[in-house]
Amino acid sequence: MLEVKDVVKSFKTDDHTIKPVNGVSFSLEQGTFAAILGKSGSGKSTLLSLLGALDKATSGDVLVDGVNISALPDSKLTAYRRDDIGFVFQQYNLIPNLSAKENVMLPMEFAGLPRAKRSVRAAQLLNQVELTEDMHNRKANKLSGGQQQRVSIARALANNPKLILADEPTGNLDDETGELIIELLRSLCHEKNTTILVVTHDQALARKTDRRFRLARGKISEITHH
Amino acid sequence: MSILARSVGNAFRNKVRSGAVVIILAVAIGLALSMLVANQAVADKITSLKASVGNNLTVNPAGSRGGQGGGEPLTTADLSTASSVAHVSSVNGTLSLRLSNASTTAPAPAAPEGQGGSRTGRALSGTTSLVSAVDPGTLGNRENGRTSTSAATASSGATASSGATASSGAAVAGSTAVRPAFSIPIEATGVSGSVNAAAEPINITNGTALNDFAATSAQALVGSTLAAKNSLTVGSAFTINDRTMTVSGIFDAGTAFDNNAIYLPLTAAQTLANQPSEISTMTVLVDSIDNVNATKSALASALGSTRVDVTAGPGRVESTIGSLGSVQSISLIGFIAAVGTAGLIVLLIMIMVVRERRREIGVLKAIGASNRSIGVQFVFEALVLVVMGSVVGAVLASVSSNSIVGALVSTNMGTTAAVAGSGRQGLLAARQAAGGFGGSAAPGGGRGAFAGASQLIGTISTSLGWQTLVLGVLGILLIAALGALIPALLTAKVRPIEVLRGE
Ligand SMILES: Nc1ncnc2c1ncn2[C@@H]1O[C@H](COP(=O)(O)OP(=O)(O)O)[C@@H](O)[C@H]1O
Ligand SMILES: [Mg+2]
Repeated sequence: MLEVKDVVKSFKTDDHTIKPVNGVSFSLEQGTFAAILGKSGSGKSTLLSLLGALDKATSGDVLVDGVNISALPDSKLTAYRRDDIGFVFQQYNLIPNLSAKENVMLPMEFAGLPRAKRSVRAAQLLNQVELTEDMHNRKANKLSGGQQQRVSIARALANNPKLILADEPTGNLDDETGELIIELLRSLCHEKNTTILVVTHDQALARKTDRRFRLARGKISEITHH
Repeated sequence: MSILARSVGNAFRNKVRSGAVVIILAVAIGLALSMLVANQAVADKITSLKASVGNNLTVNPAGSRGGQGGGEPLTTADLSTASSVAHVSSVNGTLSLRLSNASTTAPAPAAPEGQGGSRTGRALSGTTSLVSAVDPGTLGNRENGRTSTSAATASSGATASSGATASSGAAVAGSTAVRPAFSIPIEATGVSGSVNAAAEPINITNGTALNDFAATSAQALVGSTLAAKNSLTVGSAFTINDRTMTVSGIFDAGTAFDNNAIYLPLTAAQTLANQPSEISTMTVLVDSIDNVNATKSALASALGSTRVDVTAGPGRVESTIGSLGSVQSISLIGFIAAVGTAGLIVLLIMIMVVRERRREIGVLKAIGASNRSIGVQFVFEALVLVVMGSVVGAVLASVSSNSIVGALVSTNMGTTAAVAGSGRQGLLAARQAAGGFGGSAAPGGGRGAFAGASQLIGTISTSLGWQTLVLGVLGILLIAALGALIPALLTAKVRPIEVLRGE
């Protein structure tokens, strides 16, 4: 269960303050596949970074299963990001000189899982995101965009998070591959009862989600009509 | 994939840059190690110099110096008294005798006055069948003419037959043909081991050292020029008073004067001279030059300051040590500077790497890495570079440290050479004056001192000791860890939001 209550994020620039997120409230039941739509620069990434504890909100609360992460100290935030959140980025953000499998093993290493278990689980996850075995030991920077995004989804799943935050996961992919990635996220969401929040400006992909929100001028509103 | 394995991999992500960094580090570390080696070599040399040179004291009966000729002789009992004084590492007693040639029946002259003053009672203590190998020369004859009371037999002037000084000797002697026959007495020293009165080893070129130290011993060591003059070889016989001595070895003391001498077992010398348990000079070896002054006064009070004179050798060693000390501090500064440079290189390169990987650090934080594990990863990465630089640097150091030490010591020994030279020259002059043979020191002292200095360099061993190596590598690893720690702390400042920058 994710609850967002009146969250504000302001940035101070040279002479004025901008508020890309200005009083956002919504909540998602566990296992919901949701999308946030909005124009470029509308504050979608900013909102996602607040939900994933990459940045601190200026005001407001983010509650994950009743725990207010806005009030957590830094050390607890590290554990929160490691155990409860999975990130998927537009630029994939894999570690380029590590293999696909090693990238998936990283969050498990930070969680203190023994090496043998990490290796087995990483292979399982890569199979689950349909990366063929012969790619498992290939360096991340030698994989195609779609393959890299699959690896990055497997990495996001590594520690069984409650919430996966995906910032334009299909933004760098062609339509066909993007559709496959969204399909993958959707099936994972329902199989593992993971809440998945996808930021996109692709209406067609957004149509495959359970709930859709629009972010504009710092405010969020749910899109109810189809 | 452990943090360490990841760090090693990261260290080689940019192979060209890492290679260049390793080479630069290797040069700095190699220089640091060479400086450390030089520092330790010089420190070792100073320690051994302090324990081996300039740390001997000479004990003589009071008043014997300056030709006063007074005082009570030292005895073998004084030897044990001296050896129980603190910081005394060894005591060596000798008895000096002057033997005249039996056939010339030279009179026993009184102890010469003035500048010819001798160290001990210089009265002739016996006769020998040996003929002196040293021509009296002008000065010897003049001294003898002044002080001798008898003026009987005519000199055969140029008795001096051969020898380097013959020309001047012959000229003067010729003009003073009425002078009495004078042959330079032969110095006999009673020793109780294999070292001479100055506690330096006797350099035996032929035969064997003395090994029968009984009062009845007939063994003797003969100086090379004296042996040549008298056609003696190992096993030859000659007499002292009425005892037939056998040459057990030939020695070379370096100068013609010093080689016109013999060494006898101490007790045999005491018996032959009828001076039982008497010694003329005692050489005391102090454990370190630092304790020489304290031991000097301790010895004087133990033996009775009115009875004995305790004198230290010339202070030339202090100046040598002083200049070596400056080499030591220069090399220490060089070590610190080179280690500092290595640390700075690591620091700068790691700061660069951290800036370059800001986004990646953000990724690691976004997927749950703690600041600590990221910091450790970067420290390891820096250490990989340093370890490789150290290995290559150690190889460079082992190749270059010899020449670095050589250069450091030789440039710094320039001034020392002069100081040591004057000391050495002074010593030589003092010894010749004390012998009563007059003659000024040859103006070749500078060259001799230079040879001494280069000998000093030669004895500084510069092989890489493992302790030095471990110490050096540890010091560098410490600096590297510090140089890597600052960038690692910088990684803690990178916020996870960096991951979204540029998207
Ligand atoms: N660190 C920051 N400092 C100042 N302005 C920022 C910062 N991060 C984002 N912004 C601004 O906030 C607005 C929203 O950015 P972002 O959340 O990235 O939009 P989106 O992801 O919807 O394209 C933009 O105008 C951007 O310039
Ligand atoms: Mg964005």
